[in-house]
Amino acid sequence: MIEVDEKQMQWSENMTIASLLMTLDNVEFCAVVRLNGRLVSSPKFTETPIEDNSKIQLLPLVAGG
Amino acid sequence: MWNAVSGDTKWNDPENTICISSGPLGGTPGYPGGGKSIVTSISPLTGVPIDSNVGGYFGPYKKFSGFDVIQVDGKAKTDTIIFIDGIESKIKIFEAKDLPTDSYELSDVLTRHFDEDKPVNVSVVTAGPGAEHTFFGCLNFSWWDAGRKRVRYKQAGRGGIGTVFADKKVKAIVARYGAISMKSNNPADLDALKLVTKSHAKEIKELDPKQNRMSLVGTTHLVPIMNDHDCLPVHNFKFGSHPESHVIGEEVYEHIFDKGFDGCWRGCTVACSHGVKDFSPFTGPYRGKKVFVDGPEYETVAGCGSSLGIFDAHTILEINFYCDAYGLDTISVGTSIAFVMECFENNLITTDHTDGMDLSFGNRFNALKIIHQMAKGEGFGAIVGKGIRNMKKIFAKDFGADMAFMQDIGMESKGLEFSEYITKESLAQQGGYGLALKGPQHDEAWLIFLDMVHNFMPTFEDKAEALHWFPMFRTWFGLCGLCKLPWNDIVPEDNKNTFEPAKVAKHLGWYADFFSAVTGRKSGPEDLLAMSEGVYNFQRVFNLKMGFGTREHDTVPYRAVGPVTVEEYESRQKRYDDQLKEKYDMDIREMSSKDKVAALRQKREEQYEQLKDAVYARRGWTQNGIPTVKTVKRLGIDFPEVMEVLKKNGVE
Repeated sequence: MIEVDEKQMQWSENMTIASLLMTLDNVEFCAVVRLNGRLVSSPKFTETPIEDNSKIQLLPLVAGG
Repeated sequence: MWNAVSGDTKWNDPENTICISSGPLGGTPGYPGGGKSIVTSISPLTGVPIDSNVGGYFGPYKKFSGFDVIQVDGKAKTDTIIFIDGIESKIKIFEAKDLPTDSYELSDVLTRHFDEDKPVNVSVVTAGPGAEHTFFGCLNFSWWDAGRKRVRYKQAGRGGIGTVFADKKVKAIVARYGAISMKSNNPADLDALKLVTKSHAKEIKELDPKQNRMSLVGTTHLVPIMNDHDCLPVHNFKFGSHPESHVIGEEVYEHIFDKGFDGCWRGCTVACSHGVKDFSPFTGPYRGKKVFVDGPEYETVAGCGSSLGIFDAHTILEINFYCDAYGLDTISVGTSIAFVMECFENNLITTDHTDGMDLSFGNRFNALKIIHQMAKGEGFGAIVGKGIRNMKKIFAKDFGADMAFMQDIGMESKGLEFSEYITKESLAQQGGYGLALKGPQHDEAWLIFLDMVHNFMPTFEDKAEALHWFPMFRTWFGLCGLCKLPWNDIVPEDNKNTFEPAKVAKHLGWYADFFSAVTGRKSGPEDLLAMSEGVYNFQRVFNLKMGFGTREHDTVPYRAVGPVTVEEYESRQKRYDDQLKEKYDMDIREMSSKDKVAALRQKREEQYEQLKDAVYARRGWTQNGIPTVKTVKRLGIDFPEVMEVLKKNGVE
């Protein structure tokens, strides 16, 4: 199992951040996630694997600076 | 300011003025970001009005002492301290003698002097020796950190207002006031104010730890994010990422920042003004001593770190400390030194011009040496302190440097140095910088995510629409005495399900309630834009009055638009090749990299001009970038003097 925004989800082998987001609704604003405390941005979503028992927070970044 | 200055006024004329206001809402304790001030003057860098948004307690203390705005005109003959005493209802003016020269010590000495028993009652505005000797001096606005029992400060950084302050021989402006409560700002509806304050503060407290964690890491979370999106300035904005960026971002500063409450206003739940205690500089007058560093924020890390090729958290802290103590804007300092370093690496300047200093990227000792020189107005640092626009002229005239290349790589527009985002792949953000009234500062429009990352504005008209509403909202925060971060840097969990998530409707509703509760003027979210639009257009006309404010002044260096050099092109070759082939339908098989740089440049520069057309049309301006008569009439700013300025510029 993994935790996504405090909700439990089934983990699967070869899961990446990109493949996870494809299963979720309303993630257009998700350009960055925190994976086990580490920031990962959208250019790296496809290459970043998710391990079992991971904790993920989706960051709705609109602005900055 | 409009009344104080004429179209011929220069920054160092006595009639130039410094205005400090905290708007109708500034000074509301507990409201996130509810204690800001806006500071304005004619800028030494740009010759037009600059505005700088700053925290610290001065604005509210000054307001509660009886002054919505203070305006400082003229020039003193000797160093002067202005003391606004809201407790004893007096204003006193002192001649300053035998006081420390730098802001770090001066703020502390004056705070303790003016209320030794209750230093929390005092806030001090100071500049410093760097402000005296450069064109990009900043102002430090202090507050007493009761937990750490020391003075802290935030900066009104941009555009050289500290330089004007020093030129007027104002050593400090001090405000003193007693107990603060939610009644201090005399709200029309106290219960409604308490309700909206509690709602917004509670949300920030709940969601910030799940989102950007600004109460823990400030804005340093942006370092890894910008790096991964190829938007972190590296080597004078040549590149957008670097493998060593992880040693200067939140990963490091989270562990270095001193733990404790870091709000630059009372009760702010964003509380992002972090600092480092017991820091020991390795250069300069504080070498070997233990000091407290207020910062760094993202802009300082990127400008004085990655853009200089300095990937060392300690050196960035030292640059941050001395810039504040000397009264220097870290953004202009970083961007100016980055320009100098690229000139040095391209042999446009040599050790013959730099007092023998090797100014290759990454040379942290000499970057610091330049800053110490700036504080004294000595050596090569004195030239760097004049800013990029002036340096280009000096390097070309005195050193024979290639002006065309410097125009391409000198990251300034309107005379102001760029803040710290790479914009090559975001046309909207190119406009966000180039079309900003005061020059390329991101607080007016920050559209990188909405444009480049989310691709929510594919057409010129979409980008123009965003370049209309985004600056208007951001202007509103400055006008009202608020911080912009709580609007859209921390967003409600259900925001993604709303009609226009980019505008964060729930927060706009709260801000309208906040405005209504304080002023008694019932307002809705739609009214916020109307408040800003009149001021925004008036400021554009003000630029026109000062001899600027037309299309030609909305240009940006090509480095902000695309790759200037073959090295730059080839570093992202696949991206650029794909664009030439797919977006512009070009056959590039026989083209050299140099040819491709030229072809891409032609296309991108055309796009930028098309963007200007679309934005001017959306804003109700002529194609020369001047508000039309219809626009100023609609906004109710068709004063005779405004109409006269328009007429002088061919708009009737």
